[in-house]
Amino acid sequence: MEDLILELKEKIIEVLNLEELTPEDIDPKAPLFGAGGLGLDSIDALELIVLLEKSYGIRLASAAEGKNIFTSVENIAQYVSQNRKK
Amino acid sequence: MAAIIADNIISPLGFSTQANYQAVKAGKTALQHYDDALGIPFPFTASLFSEEQKKEFTIDGLTLFESLAVTSIRKALESCQIHLDKRTCLIISSTKQNISLLTTDSNPSENITCPGISAEKIAKAVGITTTPIIVCNACISGVSALILGNRLIDMQEYDHAIVCGIDLQSPFIISGFYSLKALSENPCRPFDIERIGLNLGEAAATVILGKENLTGGWNIAGAAIRNDAYHISSPAPKADGCLMALEAVMKGQDANQLSVINAHGTATLYNDQMEARGISKAGLSDIPVNALKGYYGHTMGAAGILETIITLHASEDGIIIGTKGYDEIGVSGNLNIVRNNTTTEKKDFLKLISGFGGCNAAVYVEKEQGARSKEQEKGIRAIFENEAATLNVHHHIVITPQSVQIDDEMIDTGMQKGKALLTYLYKTYTQDYPKFYKMDVLARLGFVATELLIQKERGTRSKEQEEGKRAVIFFGQSSSINADKEFLRSIADLENYFPSPAAFVYTLPNIVNGEVAIRNNYHGETAFYILPRKDDSIMRMITQATMLDNFHTSIITGWLDCKSKDEFYAELSIMNYELE
Repeated sequence: MEDLILELKEKIIEVLNLEELTPEDIDPKAPLFGAGGLGLDSIDALELIVLLEKSYGIRLASAAEGKNIFTSVENIAQYVSQNRKK
Repeated sequence: MAAIIADNIISPLGFSTQANYQAVKAGKTALQHYDDALGIPFPFTASLFSEEQKKEFTIDGLTLFESLAVTSIRKALESCQIHLDKRTCLIISSTKQNISLLTTDSNPSENITCPGISAEKIAKAVGITTTPIIVCNACISGVSALILGNRLIDMQEYDHAIVCGIDLQSPFIISGFYSLKALSENPCRPFDIERIGLNLGEAAATVILGKENLTGGWNIAGAAIRNDAYHISSPAPKADGCLMALEAVMKGQDANQLSVINAHGTATLYNDQMEARGISKAGLSDIPVNALKGYYGHTMGAAGILETIITLHASEDGIIIGTKGYDEIGVSGNLNIVRNNTTTEKKDFLKLISGFGGCNAAVYVEKEQGARSKEQEKGIRAIFENEAATLNVHHHIVITPQSVQIDDEMIDTGMQKGKALLTYLYKTYTQDYPKFYKMDVLARLGFVATELLIQKERGTRSKEQEEGKRAVIFFGQSSSINADKEFLRSIADLENYFPSPAAFVYTLPNIVNGEVAIRNNYHGETAFYILPRKDDSIMRMITQATMLDNFHTSIITGWLDCKSKDEFYAELSIMNYELE
């Protein structure tokens, strides 16, 4: 799980262009969206949906479905480990 | 107040305005379900020309985009007697022009990727000698172009403006909206409780505007563009810009004269809810509202013009066209959404539209009851002959890939060049806006240039002056070519087809206007115009046209062009409107 969390952090930094951050800067339990987190927005959420499909073969039908998964890096890692197809 | 003297629509429903109007009136739709059309690896519903129809309007030596524009303009010209000369301008409204011909290694100077060159070919084929202007203002482009034409005639710069809205579909746009989860696989349902997204469509629609004063004619009597200053792709939940545009065009008008508000009504959850909120906040809940996307889908650059033409002809016919796809209300605000065709005695109508980059536009279209009175004529001229107020340049900036100059001062570049120079400027002068890193190069260029201008201004003006109602108007040659290629890379390989939503949003050049509006909380007009080449006299003319909307007290404007991460040029000014 630790490896997957690190991998996700690196991918998130890359696809969301978080150029000023390193994986160590992201608390795996911290919220990704809204104040107090990374301040991601709706386009970032859509880009995370693409990331899940491209890297792990997981297809989400709607942006709303992503909302419950993209709460923290740890939560995404858990979802990916249970649902990944590649 | 220009008059609409001729029009044409070419869509999959027909090749003339009448054919289109009659089809829509009879409830026909051009929307069809496709399993794998255009080489797109997912099913979708859209309004597309058939191969036979494409053959019918193809002209030798022109691209499909150019051919369609030329055909529509020629047909509109057939129905009126105007002389094409130095007093005629061509305004093309289009979001993606020849995009289907772009490849990931296209040369940025090629004609195919230079929309202005394409526009010159259209002008030449039609016989127009003045420099064409392309309005590339996302989904509001069509209405934005009508507003520009109206103003240029009011200013007496031209006697006639030929305004042609046009977009064709390709994997580019359809995959982009798919990546934004904004498409409905089935026919769209504007304002309905079960709406889940939009359909795309292709069409061309042309309106010819003139200074003619015709009894019983149609005039653009009010026009406004306002920005939400909220988000580059989501409409403001409180409908800020939409409400401001509605209030501006209704000023001095009697809502009882309105037959209908023809809404954007894309059938996405957020757009329709936002419009409903704007309409009810503006106190217009009693006015019938309709939307035409159930017949044509979203025709992008054509939408604002096509929908204005259909609504005008319906109003002339005493009809409000029903909102195809609408059954049960799914927006708040107690709106009067028209389900089926109904009759109306009233003539005037509003066209409302919103788009990416946070822009919103509204026009009030009125039927002239008599001829315009002498006083009205005089009133119009008085505004434009009043030269007591002038636009003065307060600060000026030029950014090239290796230099930065503000007013007369060269700024330290930290020995950086190209995209790295823009990052250096951000890190040196802004620092606290990480959204910068998500922007494409064009948006980064516009962002740092305006940041530097505004910081320079802060020393010299009060906060009220600075936060005055400001317009943001940019001009360029290369549109969003760099972002276009970036997005194209995400759909180049069918085996690895993952269209990127973050790349797609920047494939509209006016997103940079939206970024500047959001950063600075500017609610004034935002627009991006593409020209064949930098032309200071046209830019000055359009800047002055923008200031005819007396909401504005200042403007950030100028040339903003980015061919690649190492090849760009910005020359922007802050100008203030001042009484002498």
